[in-house]
Amino acid sequence: MKVFQKDFLQTSGKIARERVKLTIASDRLACNQDEMRQMQREVIDVLSKYMDLDKSFFKIRMDIVYETERGVQDVKTIQIK
Amino acid sequence: MSEIIVVTSGKGGVGKTTSTANIGAGLARMNKKVVLVDTDIGLRNLDVVMGLENRIIYNLVDVVEGNCRVKQALIKDKHYPSLYLLPSAQTRDKSAVTPEQMIKLADSLKEIFDYVILDCPAGIEQGFRNAIAAAGRAIVITTPEVSAIRDADRIIGLLEGAGIKKIDLVINRIRMDMVKRGEMMSVEDVIDILAVNLIGAIPDEESVVIAANHGEPVVGSDTVSGQAYMNIARRVLGETVPLMDLESGTSLLHRVASLFKKK
Repeated sequence: MKVFQKDFLQTSGKIARERVKLTIASDRLACNQDEMRQMQREVIDVLSKYMDLDKSFFKIRMDIVYETERGVQDVKTIQIK
Repeated sequence: MSEIIVVTSGKGGVGKTTSTANIGAGLARMNKKVVLVDTDIGLRNLDVVMGLENRIIYNLVDVVEGNCRVKQALIKDKHYPSLYLLPSAQTRDKSAVTPEQMIKLADSLKEIFDYVILDCPAGIEQGFRNAIAAAGRAIVITTPEVSAIRDADRIIGLLEGAGIKKIDLVINRIRMDMVKRGEMMSVEDVIDILAVNLIGAIPDEESVVIAANHGEPVVGSDTVSGQAYMNIARRVLGETVPLMDLESGTSLLHRVASLFKKK
């Protein structure tokens, strides 16, 4: 409900901008929610192979960086865990 | 020297065909030899936008299949003697032409014309593949809407993947009154998201619809959108033309006034 109220205060142009940014980011990732969860499990497995990790106590963040002809463009940071 | 340019968008209805006709007319106004090729086989549209629908004898598929020579299928524009149309076929589908055939056709047109402009069908299927195969340069049309920008981003990715180096963006149907109220994404917002070179922005004006109703280009008329399309044509030629103020048009008085307003 709180999110909804915040949307009311924002102009629709701003909302559109945020929506299209998120959509494009996930389009570029080209993976769905199931694949995302699978990747999360695999990343944690790989990391635990080399590090002693308390699996319930850390977070993984993925920075998706795109290189275009006009330079590096950081598009989105995704919380994996 | 000659260039093959594809006009594309992904999403339908954003103004590909109208933009193709007007950029072509703008180039012809500057005495360039231009041919506009309607590559939307089965859904022919460019002919009606240009008002040439009654003059079609042969079409693109006829040329590709060898039923006629290229020059027999070309239709001269009503207003500009250096502007030609190669119409699409209405009773065939996209599979009637292969990318190789399109490359061959575009290359043969390139020998006659300064600019070969390919009006691409909506979508990313074979019609799109055919149109981009021959192009060395692309103009992507979008509108300030979530759906159109999303599709434009996908198209830009596909164009880059196909090895097209020069990609320019046209943002169509901007309503400055809505942008001012914050109810529409601005030109800056769209460039920020898509990160490609902006070659022009067209305001959402009645004049564009009225001109298309008559089968006339809006370029050459005393309207903001006509001027905006003319500026795009100049930038296609490589000229540096500053972005115009979409709200107040081009008059010097308005420009001076807007300089003070910004402060």
